[in-house]
Amino acid sequence: MKNIHTIDFYAYESRLKGLNPGLKAVVAIAALLICIGTGNYLVSVTVFLTMGGVTVIWGGLSFWKYLGLLKIPVTFLILGTAAIVVGISSAPTGRFCVSLPGFYLYLSDDGAILSARLIIKAMACVSAMYMLVLSTPASEVINLLGKLPLPRLLLELMNLIYRFIFVMMDVQSRMKQAAQSRLGYSSFFTSCRSFGGIGANLFLVSLKKAGTYYDAMTSRCYEGELLFMEEVKPVKRKEAAVAAGYIAVLLLLLLI
Amino acid sequence: MMEEILLQAEHLSYSYGEGNRALHDVSLSVRKGEKIAVLGSNGAGKSTCFFNLNGVLIPDTGTIWYQGKKIGKKDLSELRRKVGVVFQDADNQIIASTVYAEVSFGPMNLKLPRDQVKTRVDTALKSMNLIMLKDRPPHYLSGGEKKRVSIADILAMEPEVILFDEPTASLDPVNVDMLTKVLGEMSDMGKTLLISTHDVDFAYQWADRAVVFAGGTIIADGPVTDILACGPVLKQGNLRKPVLMEVYDSLVKSRIIPENSPHFKNTQELNRLLKA
Repeated sequence: MKNIHTIDFYAYESRLKGLNPGLKAVVAIAALLICIGTGNYLVSVTVFLTMGGVTVIWGGLSFWKYLGLLKIPVTFLILGTAAIVVGISSAPTGRFCVSLPGFYLYLSDDGAILSARLIIKAMACVSAMYMLVLSTPASEVINLLGKLPLPRLLLELMNLIYRFIFVMMDVQSRMKQAAQSRLGYSSFFTSCRSFGGIGANLFLVSLKKAGTYYDAMTSRCYEGELLFMEEVKPVKRKEAAVAAGYIAVLLLLLLI
Repeated sequence: MMEEILLQAEHLSYSYGEGNRALHDVSLSVRKGEKIAVLGSNGAGKSTCFFNLNGVLIPDTGTIWYQGKKIGKKDLSELRRKVGVVFQDADNQIIASTVYAEVSFGPMNLKLPRDQVKTRVDTALKSMNLIMLKDRPPHYLSGGEKKRVSIADILAMEPEVILFDEPTASLDPVNVDMLTKVLGEMSDMGKTLLISTHDVDFAYQWADRAVVFAGGTIIADGPVTDILACGPVLKQGNLRKPVLMEVYDSLVKSRIIPENSPHFKNTQELNRLLKA
């Protein structure tokens, strides 16, 4: 829960917020596709470093916070690539092996190189996506998706869910405080009971809130279609040139 | 000269499900430019009455008229456009993920052209002093800021009548002052305002007319000074006398001011009276 809050908050603080969200998305997705599509490690390393640089230096996010966010995918990657690095064979082989009853677990050079490349590629992709989400508020991302041929209902749901995550989080944290102040979390048993009670109450509160929100929307002439106006952030020529240049450099790196 | 009657309710009754009667035979007429305080204790029917007047709730019996036109099922959206409601809890009103998008929700629903929506949103944001916050998501706003957003929401729709449901309930004194100022500006703009509250001091200072609800019906309706001086009404409506009125009574009793001197609604008026 806390992570949604922080990523969301960083996006609003970012100095890149004023840029056209479409431009940022194009750069991020182009970098992502080039990395995945080619698997060229030089490109991956470049994307990883430049995207990180853009987020930290241009966007103004503190380096340590960025590192903290990168830790999340790293954990998954280590667990995921472990299966690739480690092989099973009936005879002892590889650089290093462990004998187990009936088979051998071994580490090979090939496996290690493959997983290293995989990690670099994945981290490059993550950093490209981070550049987008750490500089673009969720509402703008949803708006961008609106330009794709997606059903409107889906986007309206995304908008409402985004708002309600925070409404419900707020309600939940207040209920939790109220429970804590009455020693609801003093032991394991009471914690379980408080947690259950809060969960049940949260459900009732959401039902009730849904009703009041509907009334509030109707009172403002809502007629079945959720309409908002977003401010247009025009693409500046210089920014477009930088973005195009960046993608061109990535493509050139492929030739080396 | 009396101004024209804008909004009129005749014998309204409303119940939330079987046997849960919230409004009973409520009749009320609102003239253009009036400043009405709707008083009453919790559960007296003030909010339900507001939602009926705005067309969110449809009365079981009774009719609503707007500028002499009877509001039927097809005219509800017109009623909602002309009569705006500012909800008690801003958190129950704000749905969009940025302040700007939020304020644009109403005008967008009115199907106005884009540039007109933009001017309306900008004007509303400016008058609520929210320009700096326009890109902010609502969950990073303070209580007073959210209240301002919820008022800007309604201002942007440019209704003629604005109903405020308990606006002072969750505000600190500074924000109440801000609200009072905003209300003054709206009156100057020619808006008709109804405010539900149980803050009698606020009602006494601000309103011209008071309507008292108790048990789902209107028990008193008239000039605010008369209503709040009437003991039985205050008792039945679970209200108390405004402090300034108590002061007036004490001053008259101890012969500091003459018996028929005008009522003062704030300390400046009191000072002027004492100087004279």
